[in-house]
Formats: sequence, structure tokens, C-alpha cells
Amino acid sequence: MNKNSLLILMSVILLGAGATWVIQKANSSHDLPVIKDVPSFLFKTQDGESFSENELKGKITVLDFMFTTCAGPCPIMTNNMVHLYQDYTNVEEVQFVSITVDPTVDNEEILKQYANANGVDDDRWQFLTSDIDAIKDLKKNGFMLYADELPRGHAIKFVLIDPKGRIRKYYDGTDKASIAVLRNDLNNLVKEIRS
Amino acid sequence: MNTFRTFSFITTAMTYLLIFVGGLVRVAGAGMGCPDWPKCFDRWIPPTSLDQLPDHIDPAKFNIVLAWIEYSNRLLGALVGLAIMITTYLAFKYYRNVIRITGSVLAAFFLTLVEGWLGSVLVDTVLNPITITLHLLLALVIVMLLLYSAQEAFYLENHDSEKGSRYPPNMKWMFGILSITLLAEVVLGTEIRGGLEMIREDNPMLDSQFLLRMLGPFKYIHTMLGFIISGLSGLLWLRLVKQSQNPSTIMIQSSTAILGLVITQIIMGELLVFLDVIPLIQLFHMWVASWILGLVMIQYTAWNQSQLAHE
Repeated sequence: MNKNSLLILMSVILLGAGATWVIQKANSSHDLPVIKDVPSFLFKTQDGESFSENELKGKITVLDFMFTTCAGPCPIMTNNMVHLYQDYTNVEEVQFVSITVDPTVDNEEILKQYANANGVDDDRWQFLTSDIDAIKDLKKNGFMLYADELPRGHAIKFVLIDPKGRIRKYYDGTDKASIAVLRNDLNNLVKEIRS
Repeated sequence: MNTFRTFSFITTAMTYLLIFVGGLVRVAGAGMGCPDWPKCFDRWIPPTSLDQLPDHIDPAKFNIVLAWIEYSNRLLGALVGLAIMITTYLAFKYYRNVIRITGSVLAAFFLTLVEGWLGSVLVDTVLNPITITLHLLLALVIVMLLLYSAQEAFYLENHDSEKGSRYPPNMKWMFGILSITLLAEVVLGTEIRGGLEMIREDNPMLDSQFLLRMLGPFKYIHTMLGFIISGLSGLLWLRLVKQSQNPSTIMIQSSTAILGLVITQIIMGELLVFLDVIPLIQLFHMWVASWILGLVMIQYTAWNQSQLAHE
């Protein structure tokens, strides 16, 4: 083997080793620190059933705060949530929860209509309501999200909650690139439970 | 070697490294490592902690590893742009009247600017698949232009290097078909990569074997074209090495290397299909394709030089 081929071979091996290191680094870089536990709450679903923090246990949950008559960012958020709901049809570990911040309008009946309108046909996506103070308290103190001027001033975050009911990360629910990160984190969490 | 050739050699090597790093960004999933462009999280040096992020960017997007992978691609890209700029200057200094040299480096320089702009489009569109393909395709064209100009400059000073060799005439169409097929193969390859990603997004948690089966005809066309490419490069080797008189060293080496690399590509491609979609193999599969294209350019330029020498 002449000098040049040896040089090329060495460079290729070196680049391969470097790339392997970088790929491994990248794969293990998606850490999800535990932020805090979701505190206890007891709300009602669109079907009139009780839903508490216990329903978050054993599942990976993507949760947001919204209201059905919102014209601002909510349609984008809901649309993003619909895509997630549809794509994760076969991933039974994942569920979705939307909590209304306008309970005076969004009663169980309205939420049920909203769910139907968005193609929700199983219990993987729950829409919750309660009285405004309880919702405000959960949002502000439980999820540490802005909740001063409800319903209009609601946060646009999607919250990722792990099977132990712990908040792991927040995402901008209107941003395509943030949703891509959420999908990746979701998949990693699912892999974690399955392994 | 004059300054121009030294520089275009360095520039070509750097561009190849850049293609590798670009592929690494892709397989590491770091394309959105910096959600803005040209800065990274509004900084010229990527942030090291969350509190350095600007308010308007969602902190969920911050991942220091991915940010640096993406940013090193941009930094190297800027460096390559600078190197091509100097090469262009040197081309005009040494070969002002040789349009095939000045023209090709100028085209390479112009395309480098387009590459930078495409990089910003990629970020804006959150990695639009067609733009990703175009981003790679232009890089390949740039590297071919650089190789061509360097080799032409070499022949200007070494008129006789292909004089002693006689290759079969009328082979231009074969080089043309091979280059176009190779480029089409790269496009199909990146479409397979992009297609897999899209199917994976719609069907999370399915394994790659299953996803590949869902991909349909793309994969088969890619394999078919692969066989056409191996046939063509085998034919070229036969005509240029075996059926020619006194082929030059550069011709023998490039033709043989092409054949060897095409076989390597087939093996890597089959590994990806039958074993698993392994990122490192994916990366080299793409990179070796860029080598083959460069070598075909060298092969053609040598053949063309010999034809001109015997006119």
C-alpha cells in the first residue's frame, strides 16, 4: 500500500471514529430533567368522568391549557395536538390532556362537541373542566404557567409528563420546530418504558 | 505546484470534509440544533446554558450538543466559502484568459453563496426534505467544479501528461449518463432518507425494517440504478483501462477506485436494508457517493485531455 492510500485510509478511520463519537453524543444529549410532580387535582372529563393526577400515572402525557372559543393561538395548538393524537394511535403508552381555562363556557357538553369535531374517538385524548379557581391554581402553582388573565391570557405550552406523574419539559405548542423536539422526547420516553 | 493548484487542492479537501460534516448533522438529527440563522440562539457563539437564551426562542429547542454539531457545519461552511473566494481570486490572477478555469471556480463560488442561503431556508422551513436534497446536490456540483478547475490547471502546465495515452473516442455520452445517473441516485437516496423520516414521524416507534417496507418503489429504483451504475463504471473501466493504449496513472487509479467504491456502495446499501438503518453507514454511504462523483469528473477530464492532445 502506498503512502497516499495509507493516508486516505487513516483519515477515513479517524473521521469514522469521530463521527461515531458525535452520533453517540447526540443520541445521549436528549436528557429530560425532572421538573416537579403534578400536584393532586380532581377535574371532570368531557364524558363527565372524574380525572385526577392518578390518571397521569402509568402513561406518558402531553397536556395543554386551552378554551374552545379561542381564536388566537389555540387553533394552531389544537391542530398540532390533533396531529400528535393521530400519529400516536398505535402507541398506547401516550395520552393527551387538554384543560379548559374558560369553564363557564366550556362545560362537558361543549368539550364533548369540541373533541368530536377534532376527530377524537377514543379515550387517549381527554378534555377536562372544573371551576375556574381550581384550574387557575393548578395552572399557576401546579404547572408554573401564566394564569392571571384567564381565559384570554393563557399559556401556549405543551407539557410533557412522565408515567410517574412528573413534569419533564415544556414546549411551545404553536412552533413546528418545538413540536419536532417534543416528538423526539416522547419517543425516547416510550423507549425508556419499553426497555 | 503553483499557488492556485495548492489552494484548490486544499479547498476541495475542505469541501469534502464539509460534505461529511453536513451528513453528520443529518444523521445526528442536529439540523435544527440552531433554530435561527446565521446566528445560533441569537448569538455568534452558541449559548452554553439556558439563561443565555433570548426570550423569543422556545428553550425546549436548546440542546448544546446539537447546537454545536450544527454550528460547526456553519463555521466550516463559512471557512470553505472563504477558501473558494481565495481560489477564485487566484484563478483570475493566474488564468485570466482560461475561461474553463475562471468560469468553473466562479460558478463554484456563486453556488457556495446559494448553499449558505439554502442553509437559512432549511432552518426557516424546519428541514424541508427537497431543500435538504438540493443542499447536498449543490455541494456535489461545487466539489466537481473545483476538481475540474484544478485538473485543468494541472494540464495547462503539464501538456503532455495525457499525450502518451490513447482512449477510445466518443465516450462523452457515457460520462454524461454516468454523472446524471449518479446524481439521480443521490437524489433518490436522500429521498429515501427523508421519506423514512416522514413515515417515522407519522408512525412513531415502528422499527426501521418495517418503515423501509412502507417506503415502496423508491428503494427498488435506488437499487436498480445502483446496478446500472456498477455496469456503467465497469464498462468505463474496461474501455479506459483495458481497451486503451498506455492509460495514464491517474486514469487507471480513478477508474479502478470508482469500480471499488461502487461495490462498496452496494455492500453498504444492502447492509442498511438488511441489517438496520445504522447512522454511521448512512453517513459513509452518502460520502462515498460524493467521492465517486468527483472521481468520474477526474476520469472525464483526463479522457478529454487525451482527446484534445490527439486532435
